[in-house]
Amino acid sequence: MKHSVNRPPTPDGAEDQGKEPTLQEIINIKLIESGEKERLMELLRERLIECGWKDEMKALCRAYIKKKGRNNVTMDDLVHLITPKGRASIPDSIKTELLQRISSFLTSAAL
Amino acid sequence: MSAPNEDNTQLSSHFFGDLLDSIIVDVASECHRIAKVGLDRNLEEEEEELRLSAQARASVADPSNSGEANNKYVVDIFGQTHPPVANEIFKCMNCGRSIAAGRFAPHLEKCMGKGRKARLKVTRSSTAAQNQYSRGSPVSTYSSYTNSTSTSRLSNGTPGFAGEEYSNGTYEGEP
Repeated sequence: MKHSVNRPPTPDGAEDQGKEPTLQEIINIKLIESGEKERLMELLRERLIECGWKDEMKALCRAYIKKKGRNNVTMDDLVHLITPKGRASIPDSIKTELLQRISSFLTSAAL
Repeated sequence: MSAPNEDNTQLSSHFFGDLLDSIIVDVASECHRIAKVGLDRNLEEEEEELRLSAQARASVADPSNSGEANNKYVVDIFGQTHPPVANEIFKCMNCGRSIAAGRFAPHLEKCMGKGRKARLKVTRSSTAAQNQYSRGSPVSTYSSYTNSTSTSRLSNGTPGFAGEEYSNGTYEGEP
């Protein structure tokens, strides 16, 4: 690939120099590397299917698609449709269970 | 140095939100795909079916049909005439919709009988009896069905997993 001669130098080393990875990022990496994130996702997915949350969201999508016509709907539309309702309709028991697991992972990972 | 409790809860909530967002995007993408590919009980078909069903009901209710070409009123030995489209309305046992009796057979064909769409529907609803129905068909293109069909084929000639004898030429690999 030809580069133009006057191209400004690539700002390399920006990651090493200025920004330390935030606590969030560190934990995120730990979650992923240990495989815990995957397990948590699967757990959450399973719980949400069991309690019918997924079916509710799918029904919302289908109603919207029916209204708009299937060729006029974008992924973005659906995501924006589901996100507020989805977040609000999570059963408390599921939320608590997941939060507890995440929290215990955090305390064990911080050691 | 242990993190204080408030930090912990805030972080947990953050990660929970993260997981939730991913799942929401998954669900949205699944619905989007189904809509675009037209897998989930094709909406136009459904509307067409509803329209025809309503039409059938209307033509039954309308008494002035006898003069029309497409209606043949047969008079039986008791002197009764039978309407061309059966007018009773039933609930489909598969999908739960109200269908006119005269439209019931075509509806069932779509709802239960026709290949991919109906089979997908059946596996989703996961009723054991219906699963057995759909697994009985000999030609199965889905690998998820091979577990049940392959064991029955192996039992014909080969004892256990010999691996060399193929009953139909394709080896559904079982580790």
